[in-house]
Amino acid sequence: EETGEDENFEYGKGDFTEHACRYCGVQNPACVVRCNIPSCRKWFCNSRGNTSGSHIVNHLVRAKHKEVCLHKDSPLGETILECYNCGCRNVFLLGFISAKTESVVVLLCREPCLSVNALKDMNWDLSQWCPLIDDRCFLPWLVKVPSEQEQLRARHISAQQINKVEELWKTNPDATLEDLEKPGVDDEPQPVALKYEDAYQYQNVFAPLIKLEADYDKMMKESQSKDNVTVRWDIGLNKKRIAYFVFPKEDNELRLVPGDELRLRYSGDAAHPAWQSVGHVIKLTAQEEVALELRANQGVPVDVNHGFSVDFVWKSTSFDRMQGALKTFAVDETSVSGYIYHHLLGHEVELQIVRNTLPRRFGAPGLPELNASQVFAVKSVLQKPISLIQGPPGTGKTVTSAAIVYHMAKQGQGQVLVCAPSNVAVDQLAEKISSTGLKVVRLCAKSREAVMSPVEHLTLHYQVRHLDTSEKSELHKLQQLKDEQGELSSSDEKKFKALKRATEREILQNADVICCTCVGAGDPRLSNFRFRQVLIDESTQATEPECLIPLVLGVKQVVLVGDHCQLGPVIMCKKAARAGLAQSLFERLVLLGLKPFRLQVQYRMHPSLSEFPSNSFYEGTLQNGVTINERQSSGIDFPWPVPNRPMFFYVQMGQEEISASGTSYLNRTEAANVEKIVTSFLRSGVIPSQIGVITPYEGQRAYIVNHMSRNGALRQQLYKEIEVASVDSFQGREKDYIILSCVRSNEHQGIGFLNDPRRLNVALTRARYGIVILGNPKVLSKQPLWNSLLTHYKEHECLVEGPLNNLKQSMIQFQKPKKIYS
Amino acid sequence: EDSVQVRQKLVEVDPKEEEEFDRELRALMQESLESRKLELRARPTLNMMIPMNVFEGSKDSRTIEGESGEETIDEEGGSGGGNNKVRVKVLVKKGNKQQTKQMYIPQDCSLVQSTKQKEAAELEE
Ligand SMILES: [Zn+2]
Ligand SMILES: [Zn+2]
Ligand SMILES: [Zn+2]
Repeated sequence: EETGEDENFEYGKGDFTEHACRYCGVQNPACVVRCNIPSCRKWFCNSRGNTSGSHIVNHLVRAKHKEVCLHKDSPLGETILECYNCGCRNVFLLGFISAKTESVVVLLCREPCLSVNALKDMNWDLSQWCPLIDDRCFLPWLVKVPSEQEQLRARHISAQQINKVEELWKTNPDATLEDLEKPGVDDEPQPVALKYEDAYQYQNVFAPLIKLEADYDKMMKESQSKDNVTVRWDIGLNKKRIAYFVFPKEDNELRLVPGDELRLRYSGDAAHPAWQSVGHVIKLTAQEEVALELRANQGVPVDVNHGFSVDFVWKSTSFDRMQGALKTFAVDETSVSGYIYHHLLGHEVELQIVRNTLPRRFGAPGLPELNASQVFAVKSVLQKPISLIQGPPGTGKTVTSAAIVYHMAKQGQGQVLVCAPSNVAVDQLAEKISSTGLKVVRLCAKSREAVMSPVEHLTLHYQVRHLDTSEKSELHKLQQLKDEQGELSSSDEKKFKALKRATEREILQNADVICCTCVGAGDPRLSNFRFRQVLIDESTQATEPECLIPLVLGVKQVVLVGDHCQLGPVIMCKKAARAGLAQSLFERLVLLGLKPFRLQVQYRMHPSLSEFPSNSFYEGTLQNGVTINERQSSGIDFPWPVPNRPMFFYVQMGQEEISASGTSYLNRTEAANVEKIVTSFLRSGVIPSQIGVITPYEGQRAYIVNHMSRNGALRQQLYKEIEVASVDSFQGREKDYIILSCVRSNEHQGIGFLNDPRRLNVALTRARYGIVILGNPKVLSKQPLWNSLLTHYKEHECLVEGPLNNLKQSMIQFQKPKKIYS
Repeated sequence: EDSVQVRQKLVEVDPKEEEEFDRELRALMQESLESRKLELRARPTLNMMIPMNVFEGSKDSRTIEGESGEETIDEEGGSGGGNNKVRVKVLVKKGNKQQTKQMYIPQDCSLVQSTKQKEAAELEE
């Protein structure tokens, strides 16, 4: 089976070395000693941190332990400290004396050996007994005090924490400091902070939040079993069985994506034994049909089509990798540079400049010319260890990122790692970077190797199959055999695996740039790679721990690209979201005072469409890189109320309803009018692929799809080709014409999803040529931002009502907004 | 290469915590002393001869250094122990065997004061 590798992999490889100080994590062998009490045997360092005594002395005093042993790599080697004369091991009694004439010293106990006068006659000087513990610290020349840098990067433990953990050790010697912080089952988790004392505190905050989200995700997905599923069978090009079936989407947040694992079951009948197999989703059709590639070909009941059951197979991989990254960040001091470490934790660091020779041109071969703000961003980023690039909609984020990666790769600092939270974004970026002529490898999760990719030729699995050298012929032969027979003999399988791993490694090592998702950066196949330069696109859509995965591979220079004025990461567990897991690292760095470089020229929207978003979300800084003429819909006869202003707000007074599932909303009147607008677009000569219908509610999305295909005035097929999606899933994409259905129309309740200004920003900035918004101004105008949007449309005579072929300006009164939007 | 300047807040140790810790530490020392006094009425036997080879070796220390002594010479000490450090031999017992290990001690440590003085005195003579 293919699952093996990842599941046996231990994340967070920077494991706590055994001899790390149990208080602060310092692990320099010259600085630590081991408590020699058999039931204890813990290591501690000789730094004071925030306490009056050094950590080892603290421990000995608090635990009333009195014996220690030096580390094997310390100057004296692995030595239990004891009186040279009597063997007493009580460190509180020990001290050094020296010989009278020679540079020879020994440890001697204060009582009784030091008071034996006869020693004087034996050439020992007893007048200068030098106690082992002095000023609440071990003699620093025997056990070194960790350097300032080491101490800064260690856990900052307080006296109270020491007392608590010592108390805990009395009943549970293996307890860790993390156990002190663990919230009880019903406790609210500790919220995220702006600054952290150290990476342990950081881990203490984020680890429980990731756990909460993982538990919720597991619970949600594993409850998604479906019975009575009808299956249609097929065989893929790789000879694997593919099952096609409809996995109806409830009105909840669960969305299948390619790469997800499902278990298909058949309970058996007179002619068939019970059967089950796990497979990967390789495709989702527009009709919501799932294509599942089965892992095993044997015993598949291909002559049966009805009565199957489907379960979701939850995998913890992505969460494990986040937890691993948090741990590595804390315990492995080579995981990120010192500058980045302190900056990420919000410590005040002296500004650092990366000394690299700057290129003469900031563009890159194969990419469009850069505009002034893009050049400025590329140039500045190349000189800084941490930078943020804010790319408002349509401002050429991908091109700018590709140019940055091109110049980084040319600096000869090793391979550049390029990540994004979503596979779509990674593919786009990989393609752009590859067009500069750099050698790019796109690393996909094993479960996604069968998923179609627009950059297939760049993927690692494709390159492994097509690397044409004579040494690889053995690998190819085995691959072919495996494809034909479905499996190999165990010795061949072993050989195949080894050859494949070696080839993968070789291809990865030869790349200039490796592209993968943030979670993909935790792939075991990259575990021995180090990346000094990392760029993360769409970073505002990733959680902090997710962003950390690509960083802890040795980063010294990091570029985060994103837009904190658009939607952030999706957190399903409300508790975790409330505690701040939905805040991206990009956002926190902005709050810490790191100013993003903003790309300022947008090439997407008709200038009339960009005006409101520019003023409301980007302080009016967004300039238009396209003219009105370039966004003229010539030959399209659509009833825009104001010619040259392809936008209107279509007043709707229909009621909202709760959808069948009880968790979402729909609005029939709006849906009916969406159909009319779509039909009008189609009649005027717009083709289906130019139109996107977006709405914040899954209930409305499903209702519109259904309604259009049943009641559309034109050919059914035309409506099927029109994409109807949630606002959130449309982030990062564009269409020529956008129809936005707001749904909410209830005087007494809030407007839910629509309240988030970032969602409105995304909704308003998807269209290139024109936008139609359907909503109830009476309800929406209570929210300040919507109020100003409505006012904007009204002032431009684009707030209309009435039948589509006879639109009239609406005189509807707005409500007073509740509070000022800031 | 990776140097970083971090502006940090001054660490302030809570005086109450300090006082309490000091009290516990002194109590532990006291208790240790008392227990020894009670335990060992008789004078201990002495087993403190400095082995002859240590003296011989002071001319050519390499011949008698403990196994693990040399490779771990303090980096700060640099070659030959640096300017302000004195090289000493630490005598330890491994089982019944005597061993010496090399170490560097700061020059101003009281432990090496008397040897220094003695050497100076000898030089004058
Ligand atoms: Zn202990
Ligand atoms: Zn410590
Ligand atoms: Zn003794």
